[in-house]
Amino acid sequence: MNAIEISGIKKSFQNVHALKGVDLAIRQGEFFGLLGPNGAGKTTLISAIMGLVRPDAGAIQVMGLDNRQEPMAAKKLMALCPQEINVHTYFPIQKIMEFQGGFYGFDRKTSKQRAEELLKRFGLWEKRKVGKFNLSGGMQRRLMIARSLMSDPKILILDEPTAGVDVELRHELWDFLKTINQNGRTILLTTHYIEEAEQLCGRVAIIHEGKIVACDTPQKLIVQHGQKGKPVRRFVRPGTLEEVFVNLTGKRMEEAQQWEMAPRL
Amino acid sequence: MGNGTPFVTLLRQEWFRFTRLWKQTIFPPIVTTILFILIFGFSLGDRIREIHGLSYILFIVPGLAAMGAMMNAHTNCSFALYMSRFDQSIDNMLAAPLRSIELVTAFLWGGIARGMLVGLVTLAVSLLLLKQPPYHLGWTLFFLITQTVFFGCWGIVGALRAKTWDNLATAQNFIITPLIYLGGVFYSVDLLPGIWRTISGFNPLLYMIDGTRYGVLGVHDLSLLTSAGLSAGMSLGMFALCVILFQKGYRLVR
Repeated sequence: MNAIEISGIKKSFQNVHALKGVDLAIRQGEFFGLLGPNGAGKTTLISAIMGLVRPDAGAIQVMGLDNRQEPMAAKKLMALCPQEINVHTYFPIQKIMEFQGGFYGFDRKTSKQRAEELLKRFGLWEKRKVGKFNLSGGMQRRLMIARSLMSDPKILILDEPTAGVDVELRHELWDFLKTINQNGRTILLTTHYIEEAEQLCGRVAIIHEGKIVACDTPQKLIVQHGQKGKPVRRFVRPGTLEEVFVNLTGKRMEEAQQWEMAPRL
Repeated sequence: MGNGTPFVTLLRQEWFRFTRLWKQTIFPPIVTTILFILIFGFSLGDRIREIHGLSYILFIVPGLAAMGAMMNAHTNCSFALYMSRFDQSIDNMLAAPLRSIELVTAFLWGGIARGMLVGLVTLAVSLLLLKQPPYHLGWTLFFLITQTVFFGCWGIVGALRAKTWDNLATAQNFIITPLIYLGGVFYSVDLLPGIWRTISGFNPLLYMIDGTRYGVLGVHDLSLLTSAGLSAGMSLGMFALCVILFQKGYRLVR
């Protein structure tokens, strides 16, 4: 049984076809990367898995559970760390963490313990009584990852988790994510950092204009979609995922690094 | 892990949301309502003749308590939900294993709790000042609860529909406040001339305020059963509408 199985997912917003029939299978225990330029459909796909977007067609199964037929059971298995810092604006972060545990069925005592452990693990314990505006950008990102781990999910979905964090913290987070993956947790990661995908992901899918254009291990993707005698574009490292990305999408990663975070009102 | 824990956590979260700012959420409306009583009752009340055999100050107390309860229930629900949409924390709740009815009930619970606190404290302080025991506590609570449910749900619908903070304020300033003021808070509908009395009959808030006045003072202008039936029916109807909107993901799920 796959951790996540996506079949024929289509989604349009007015005249924009965000997803044009996506098929994807993510195995249990896998560290899976989803790469794509801005507007490719990564966040829409992740939102569809979490039930925040209703697809026009297709089905999504989470550990064999249809996420529309059995949404509660499916949601219990997953946690999302979104791009946006979507926590209650004026709540102290300790409360945010404790409430998160409660949403997933942990009693108050366990939620308190887990919150303390995770806040300490991510170096946020000293800031436990302040709200998100009193945290630096890096601390906010750490809070998002810590919150997503409150429910001890079998499947962790990370949408650009290291966007905007400094190099040192990024490498720290990589080590942490590798460890929790090695402990058996399935991780689905979207990223704009090629190096991140190369370092962490066992398999990578490249999504472009609402379609999966390639899906395999980074090494095989490089062999299949690498330079192949094409002239090397300036600033693109040959023999890397970046080259694969450029060849498949026609865009450089820097072009793909713009993303919007406007609230949906 | 307990099955009821997610729902109880939601209720705790909504309680935490308004009680942690009690100086802004609970204290000011109580002070405002008591000022209304002092100004309209003590300073102007002597110049107004008795209504239903009661002094004017006593007559307006239930309406003011009801007004405080309604407005605070509405404000709490609309602000809490709209803020959750604004900072996108609603997405986190929608992604968690929480049912639509649980989410609606939790947002509503915040409104009911705040509205009831304001309404009951206002009533308690006023009645103590005026040395008047409540006539029927059961009916008083019934009407205060149905009012807070109705207005809390109205706040939820408003927060779902709103695209800006202005939209929220507009509903409160131009629809809810006039309806409350024209719902018999400061006067008896019996005092209105024929056509205005008929028009007032279309204001659903009139029945809620009149019912509250019966509970507190034992006097009423309209049929108690009609007021009770309408209040309960409208509250249940609005609650059902909120649950349906959440289930459909109206302005929540893309």
